Amino acid sequence: MSQLETEVLIIGGGVAGASIARELSKYKVDTTLVEKGSDFGQGITKYSSTIMCQGANVLEFRAEYHNSRLVWAGMPLMEPLCKELDVPFKRIGSLELTKNQAGMRHPEKMMRRFSEWKDKYLPEAKPLQLIDRETLLSWEPNISKDVIGGVYDPNIAINDPVRLTIALAENAKQNGINVISETEVVGISCGTEKFKVQTNDGIVKCRFIVNAAGEYVSKIAQMVNADDFVLYPVKAYQGVLDKKLGGLINHMVLSTEHGMVTPTIHGNLFFGISPRTQRLGRIHDHSTDKKLADTALRHAQELIPDISARDIINSFVGFIVYRNFEVGWHECTVEISRWVPRFINASIGFPGICAAPAAAKEVVELLVKEGLKLDENPNFNPYRKAMPIFSELSDEEKRKLIAKDPRYGHVVCRCETVTEGEIVEAIKNGARTLDGIKFRCRPGMGRCQAGFCGPRVTKILARELRIPEEQVTKKGGRSRHLLYKSKELLEE
Amino acid sequence: MKLQDVDVAVIGAGPAGMAAAIKAKEAGAKNVVIMERAEQLGGLLHQCIHNGFGLLYFKEDLTGPEYAHRFIEKVMDTGIEPLLETMVIRISNDRAVSAVSKSGGYINFKPRSIVLAMGCRERTRGALNIPGSRPAGILTAGTAQRFVNVEGFIPGKKIVILGSGDIGMIMARRLTLEGAKVEAVVEILPYVGGLIRNEVQCVHDFHIPMYLKHTVAQIHGEERVEAVTMAQVDDNNCPIAGTERKIECDTLLLSVGLIPENELSLMAGVKLDPITGGAIVDETRQTSVVGIFAGGNVLHVHDLVDNVSSESELAGQSAASFAKEEKPLERGKIALKGGRNIRYVVPHTISGQKDVTLYMRVNHPEETVRIKVGDVMTKALRVVKPSEMLKIDLSTEELKRLGKETKQIIVDCEKREGR
Repeated sequence: MSQLETEVLIIGGGVAGASIARELSKYKVDTTLVEKGSDFGQGITKYSSTIMCQGANVLEFRAEYHNSRLVWAGMPLMEPLCKELDVPFKRIGSLELTKNQAGMRHPEKMMRRFSEWKDKYLPEAKPLQLIDRETLLSWEPNISKDVIGGVYDPNIAINDPVRLTIALAENAKQNGINVISETEVVGISCGTEKFKVQTNDGIVKCRFIVNAAGEYVSKIAQMVNADDFVLYPVKAYQGVLDKKLGGLINHMVLSTEHGMVTPTIHGNLFFGISPRTQRLGRIHDHSTDKKLADTALRHAQELIPDISARDIINSFVGFIVYRNFEVGWHECTVEISRWVPRFINASIGFPGICAAPAAAKEVVELLVKEGLKLDENPNFNPYRKAMPIFSELSDEEKRKLIAKDPRYGHVVCRCETVTEGEIVEAIKNGARTLDGIKFRCRPGMGRCQAGFCGPRVTKILARELRIPEEQVTKKGGRSRHLLYKSKELLEE
Repeated sequence: MKLQDVDVAVIGAGPAGMAAAIKAKEAGAKNVVIMERAEQLGGLLHQCIHNGFGLLYFKEDLTGPEYAHRFIEKVMDTGIEPLLETMVIRISNDRAVSAVSKSGGYINFKPRSIVLAMGCRERTRGALNIPGSRPAGILTAGTAQRFVNVEGFIPGKKIVILGSGDIGMIMARRLTLEGAKVEAVVEILPYVGGLIRNEVQCVHDFHIPMYLKHTVAQIHGEERVEAVTMAQVDDNNCPIAGTERKIECDTLLLSVGLIPENELSLMAGVKLDPITGGAIVDETRQTSVVGIFAGGNVLHVHDLVDNVSSESELAGQSAASFAKEEKPLERGKIALKGGRNIRYVVPHTISGQKDVTLYMRVNHPEETVRIKVGDVMTKALRVVKPSEMLKIDLSTEELKRLGKETKQIIVDCEKREGR
């Protein structure tokens, strides 16, 4: 690409941008999505806790907030969407626990709020239930014996945000959207008819811009002075626990005060601190710190005493991007810029994953409002088939797959039982980096964190892409993980 | 050989697996298979190109590949069937094994006995929860060793090594010889984690700074490691404010401990010792599951491969006699427990009827001590360290001193008067 013309340019290939691209692919409109990273969903999307909730447990959720309405509208869309795109989705329900009488006020308040919203905004949601100590302990025998009661929300679900995002981008592409990675927007100028967008790889001319740049949404908006909002990134620490602890709980478990532990769709446990007790961070700074990590672990142990520091296999810090920190931490920015016509800011708030499908629909409406002409795409195919995941197959399916392609008989990653066949397939589907492969089919996600499979995946990636092994990167850019060839340093 | 007729299936073809398979064959097991996930026999020995192997077992100073080669030849000569690039994905408590491979497809069979010899893996950054960013350039020392010695790549040229385990110190020397600069070896404990010979030959001889009671408090760099912050730690191993020092580097190697790889064992219902991370075994190396034996680093992490080989031979021999007799071996009834300054003792139980070697480690370094095995025997030692495994031989004669009703023997490391 050195010069490109398109009707709509979506900036950002996270869950927001990919959802919008896929929504636009239902129409005949010339659309391009650019993502600066080497893969999709690798910004704040990948740091998501994967939980989909309608916010009854979050007191800052209110009917007058745009973000709350997006989440409520998005929740019922999520399960059918995951089905169409062949990505995992599981309804696990949540248990919000309390250990003291004062804390019991919170579940009662939750129940009240939920019933106020129910008819108007959440027609499909199942009712919440107050739940006593005995039932709690019979459902979840491994939680702290100090609980006195809580509330059960059967609507809570989990998925895999990165796989969802990759699937959305693939489906959008399959339906005619121009999807480009490793393309970073560095400047935008406004013309009367068109925007001129400067990227690291040439110029894009477009009539409409959708700014879905995640944590960089302000940076992009500032390029054309369309930043009529202030965003606050709130640090969200999460720890990942070994799969052998996966069976400790079946529901997402959280405390009315702080702390949360949830099963993940892949059988690990996640733990984190509720955003209520998180701290303000700096854009781009995803570093973990000891204080957050220690607090999160302590809170997790208050919920489930059997969790120990020895079981942590990884940890990370994501952001929740809020519009207005003073009023709460709840508002999103999905709107036409007040100052720049045909420029739409699409920054979804918390929980972002389940707001995305509804936000995408709204962005399309906003584009129409700004003058975009839309005709239905008669060839739109909502279905996308996922690549096979060996470890999830039955014995018979495994046998068949190996017979068809022996590379599925070569297990490259011990911890997650990932085969060479899957890695090759992930590369065929667009993975270009070690992280790209890891987020598609999980080698390196397990307890040894790529100690065993790292060299082997590097080799396969280099072979398939026909590049030297030392050019393989972790996540694009300068993230090469082997800097020199043997003896090269001695020649210097 | 038909898989349905297998007497002994050995899982893993590193030093432990090869020794166990050879011994099983020698002890009369007819059909022995070794299942190995890698392309060749030998396990991690291939990447250990330094010397120091075989001093006890062969009374010779060999490199890792040389040591491996002696066993590989024997495996090939004795008619053991190696199943390479074969990953065992499940073992059940009635010894049904499921595995996959390119050539063999999806395999299910039920050997008469099993030897677990999967070795161990390295602790990672995630397990340590080191604060900071998440760039490329953070590797465990063993993975770096594979890249340098087998694949032919150097991860970077300014290296910091966290942890003073043996592989870390050996990689400090190796990378220095390859032209990289090792800026520091950083150890959180007040003493070195690996063997003294590695401390001297790999670190001090190359003038590499070693910082004890220090840790990496922060990792910096977005795409690739750019620096680490090193800090001194207090007695709770927490960084002391004001002692931080930023060291520029492009690579952080971790040599912070090894964990026996027992995920398959757990599937089979094998009970583990929380201290060793390996199976609970008796002197035959039989685990809590009848007919499943274990040896080498999957049982407890050794510091010398020679001991891995000897211990696994025991497991192989027992597996062979179990397969032959098809009746459970009698389990040892006398429990061994670590007492003062003894972290663990393997095996966990003995019969008291035959010669036995006890393997053990201390909790912390101590000088002028004696190891006291209940009332059976004592052995005076000048110095003991957690990094160096202790081996105590008990003869049948000595064991006769045990009372008839003895249920438990406590092993203590006692201070003694000395010069």
